[in-house]
Amino acid sequence: MAAVIDRFTMVVLRRRFEAAIREMVNALFRSGRSGVLNTAMDFSCCITDANHQAISTALGLPIHVAAIDLISRAVERKFGTDIRPGDCFANNSAYHGNTHCGDFTLSVPIFVDGQLVFHAIARAHLGDMGFPTPTTYSPLSRDLYEEGLMLPCVRIQRDFVDLTDVLDICKANIRAPEQFHGDYLATLAAVRTGERAVQALCAQYGLETVRAFLEQFQTYAEDMAVAAIKRLPAGRVTGEQRHDSEIAAYADGIPVRATLDVDPVDARIVIDLTDNVDNLPLGINLSEATVTAACRVAVLTILGPDVPRATGAFRRIELKLREGSAVGIPRFPAATSTATTNLCHVLNSLVQSLFAGLGDGLGAACSTIGNPASCACVSGTDSRYDGRPFANQILMGYWGGPGVPGHDGWLTFGGAGAQGMLWQSSVEVAEQQQPVLVECLELGVDSGGPGQWEGGPGAHLVYRVRHDPVRFTTNAGGNDFPPFGAGGGQSGGPSKAWAIGRNQERTTLPNSADVTLVAGERLESIACGGGGYGNPLLRDPAAVAHRAREGWISLDRARTTYGVVLDTSGERFRVDDAATQALRSTMAAAE
Amino acid sequence: MGIEISADVGGTFTDFVVRDADGRIGLFKSSTTPGRIADGIFAGLTLIATRRGVGLRDLLAGCDSLSIGTTVATNAILEGKAAKTALICTDGFRDTLLIREGGKADTYNIFVDYPEPYIPRYLSFGVAERMNAEGGVETPLDEAAVRAAIAQMKEWNVEAVAVALIWSIANPTHELRIGEILAELWPDVPFSLSHRVSPTLREYRRFSATAIDASLKPVVQRNIAEIETRLATDGFGGILTFVTSNGGRTSTREVLEKPVYLCLSGPSAAPHAGVTLARAEGVADGNVLTIDMGGTSFDVSIATNWETPMHREGLIGGHMFGVPSVDVRTIGAGGGSIARVDAGGFTHAGPESAGARPGPACYGRGGTRPTVTDANLVRGLLDPKGFADGQMELSVDAAATAIKDHVAEPLGVSIEEAACLIALTVEQNMVGAIEDLTIRRGVDPRGYLLVSGGSAAGLHAAAIARELGMRRTLVPDVAGVLSAYGIATGDVRFGFARGLFASSARFDHAAVNAVLAELQAEGTAYLDRMRVPDARRSMVFTAEARYSGQVWQLTLRLPAARIEPGEGLAQLVEAFHVLHEQVYAVRANDPVEFTEWNLLAIGHVARDASEAVRAEPVGRAEPVLRRVFLQEIGGFADIPVFDGAMLQTGVRLTGPALVQTRLTVALVPPGCSAHVTARGGLMIEVG
Repeated sequence: MAAVIDRFTMVVLRRRFEAAIREMVNALFRSGRSGVLNTAMDFSCCITDANHQAISTALGLPIHVAAIDLISRAVERKFGTDIRPGDCFANNSAYHGNTHCGDFTLSVPIFVDGQLVFHAIARAHLGDMGFPTPTTYSPLSRDLYEEGLMLPCVRIQRDFVDLTDVLDICKANIRAPEQFHGDYLATLAAVRTGERAVQALCAQYGLETVRAFLEQFQTYAEDMAVAAIKRLPAGRVTGEQRHDSEIAAYADGIPVRATLDVDPVDARIVIDLTDNVDNLPLGINLSEATVTAACRVAVLTILGPDVPRATGAFRRIELKLREGSAVGIPRFPAATSTATTNLCHVLNSLVQSLFAGLGDGLGAACSTIGNPASCACVSGTDSRYDGRPFANQILMGYWGGPGVPGHDGWLTFGGAGAQGMLWQSSVEVAEQQQPVLVECLELGVDSGGPGQWEGGPGAHLVYRVRHDPVRFTTNAGGNDFPPFGAGGGQSGGPSKAWAIGRNQERTTLPNSADVTLVAGERLESIACGGGGYGNPLLRDPAAVAHRAREGWISLDRARTTYGVVLDTSGERFRVDDAATQALRSTMAAAE
Repeated sequence: MGIEISADVGGTFTDFVVRDADGRIGLFKSSTTPGRIADGIFAGLTLIATRRGVGLRDLLAGCDSLSIGTTVATNAILEGKAAKTALICTDGFRDTLLIREGGKADTYNIFVDYPEPYIPRYLSFGVAERMNAEGGVETPLDEAAVRAAIAQMKEWNVEAVAVALIWSIANPTHELRIGEILAELWPDVPFSLSHRVSPTLREYRRFSATAIDASLKPVVQRNIAEIETRLATDGFGGILTFVTSNGGRTSTREVLEKPVYLCLSGPSAAPHAGVTLARAEGVADGNVLTIDMGGTSFDVSIATNWETPMHREGLIGGHMFGVPSVDVRTIGAGGGSIARVDAGGFTHAGPESAGARPGPACYGRGGTRPTVTDANLVRGLLDPKGFADGQMELSVDAAATAIKDHVAEPLGVSIEEAACLIALTVEQNMVGAIEDLTIRRGVDPRGYLLVSGGSAAGLHAAAIARELGMRRTLVPDVAGVLSAYGIATGDVRFGFARGLFASSARFDHAAVNAVLAELQAEGTAYLDRMRVPDARRSMVFTAEARYSGQVWQLTLRLPAARIEPGEGLAQLVEAFHVLHEQVYAVRANDPVEFTEWNLLAIGHVARDASEAVRAEPVGRAEPVLRRVFLQEIGGFADIPVFDGAMLQTGVRLTGPALVQTRLTVALVPPGCSAHVTARGGLMIEVG
């Protein structure tokens, strides 16, 4: 039994570990080359201990870090005792604990006094990872062999020196090898920075103190989760939502099912996902890492901001997963390249929404599903720069936060895997880096799901191709099945995309589009909005007037959905209280 | 030569530093009148006159300069009291101010409201027009739409107009034309054009800076006019200047033209104060960390080799103001920060603050939740009767009750231990803020001097320094009015900027040199206006530069004011390689791109005038003993309390000891020692 650490040391060491992770993040952000790293911050860093307990998953993308322990577990499983200082392991395989193959994950063992005590882990979504097509998502892949380069937890450094064979294989498969090498160095800088910081910390405080702190801190995290779960009502809720299908086998949509059990007495939450469909011949199958992270994140957001985002808190969450399920653990060689977005978005939101079934004022509606066409991966060559090739994902208009009790959806939410952490590209930077012109980037009117608390709108964006042909690949969702509401709220508007010819002829694009447009042609995208929470007739009429005046919702929606009658003659819209009350009574009676 | 007066108008107090011709300085504090900065300034000037035994007119007649730092801009933004402002923007981009740049403070907390845009959407008018990235016209300007928008704005009694178009930095023709139409149709309305306010890449930053700038014009014009009028009435004939976001002073003309530069005015002068004080204390390497702890916030800045870094990502109320500002980090940690215990037994302090009303529990104004000030009082570190120059008496009982109810009992510890835990928690937050600015950027703070500003920061400075491994911390005699001191000793400086894209692969020397020549002419005219003698002028040219393919620029100092073909360009490119390697540890072979050209015109203050001297106190400083609870010794101890004004230069103190002056208090903790410097500051050696 380790010594009890005093409160003062607890405060100091907690902050020290968080500072070490922040240092890792900074190293990666500053030196990364891919746009998704140095603009969107689509990467995450974490530290786990020898028992694979994560100290803080507060920084970075939730879908990246909430199950990052699977990475150090994979290293231990594969290399056992053959792990020594100076090793570095690379992993982009969903069958070895990684999220999806677009995420390039490095981990290094951290040794103190000759013992393996920690792992420093950095996960970066790269601009290209050697897919057959220029994208890092491939929703239509039939199996793993259509998803390009695999690094199944392999050693990439020994004794702090690159194993060049592995790097050579990467560079031979990846479209932009120089960009890849820059990103590799940036990710390596992050894990080595973490290694140094943790070793310094252990040298200062002593390994025994640090170990005792870890034990006590995880217990604290667990205690906080226990206290939060004890405040929830008991109950079991089962739910099903659907994701758009692009295969005949599920013409009516792909179901995602979950059963939530909340036991406040035992302070335990169980999520059963075993009743889900088998692996699909599609890249949207979830990976163990994303299915686990999606559920943990869903529960943690409900438990509130005071609960530390650490493994101790996850101990109170039990997941029941089935191997060979699209919403479970994939069975080799199922494809998983799109495991961080589409089904993942539905699953996370579904679990959050089930809490609404436990009682009023709990849970959340669904946030945006898939990446809208405005977030396409774009590639081609740019004649403005002597034919320079480009391959990048533009993160623009990735919005649609969920309505939640007490708050409208966070606008720049961008899917449950990001929860608002991604940064939006600048129009001017995007136009400088790629030969496209953005003609419009505004919110889609009426795209937010109605509710007492309204879903965040989706983006309306138009790209015009300038001089050079541009290839767009997309992995949208939420078209047939837009983000659902919860607690009586309604779903957000559906996502839609079109290719528009020079003669203005419009062609509807599928969710998974791969289209090359030439000078003067356009791509138009309307992204799905977040679902609403609570009965729209309970929405504060002043908020309806405000959103109508601001042009987020139409006057028609104010009246026919919210039952609010507005006087729009002046500068500010005024609520006609008597007419609104009458209209709302009539509407409520008709419900 | 007459006196110079510097004022820092804060939310609660207006701080003054008066410098006589012989370099002697006097420090004063007077209450601020919310929303009326002129009243606060004149109340203070009257107080100074009274203390000096002269009339206000005599004081002002003998005053060469009045320099003002003011939170008028910051507060107008924070409190939504700026002008009713409309935006004219490129059609299709009305939501630029709403979308911002993404990101969210707390990933897992989805129960938060998304902030409203700085200008409401219904007051944002999209007009058909479009430039491309190379400055070519894609869509001509729809002037009829501009006129229609103006008519609507007039009807709605808009008070200021921001004009911000996509790629106006590549070709400003349309923005300029809209400016002409505004001047023609609505000569009274103040307006701002984005390419003039902040010619920077990334539309949100430019739009936001422009929106803020336009919205501040009426309130800033009003305040400055009032100050100028009242000063003239009372016989002031000196130069009136304002401190800007870059930490330097400038005349009313620049501030009226670009009021967005008043963002952070006040706190922006603190870094310079820290540097000046460190220099005066003989710090040789120029590595200084300056902290300033107020009632609700804690500001940190850093200077390496005497240089305080600038940045363009400054935020006020979540809105980016976009113009270059000294990089001052602010967190919600101050005397009023509220402490609480969570369900798992962890203590938190801030960012929630009790503010000035109700204030800490010990103020006796109805506050019941424990704050950092309450904790310091309970520990015995504050004199209940001598707080804030004796202007307020504090209640130890109220503080103890608040700590007992909210921290001590939930944790099952004594009130004093709980108080120590509150102090430690807030100190850890402060350490975190300093680490953000240092370790996180690869700077090792251990080689830096910590300069501590704020009335009570001296109680925490040694603990913070110790945690960061810093060896020394200076609590200067001017700690209680740090920013005002920074204003008093600061340079005259103002920035001028032009957006122009250039690449080393095909460098248009004529175009770039034309821009640089324009900037030089502007800077020279400015320094002429500020009556800066030639010998004290500097012109610092910089460019925003990056490798082709990168998206973030570095600020590159230009080797010369002109870039000649051949050798000149090669030098510039090499300078970028060196800078990139310094910052990111690698250099590349890619061409170097330049997006923006800047000039900082500086008029240096005469160095000798900034050397203040102190009148040595006569007599012996006899300490009194006070019961103080110290965590290090796990209990109460009677420790000596010295009157700082009575301590002679060179006197050495061994911790534990407290040093109090009229405006500040400092703790020398056990294991530390301290000595009194020639300037009357306290240099604590951290043990």
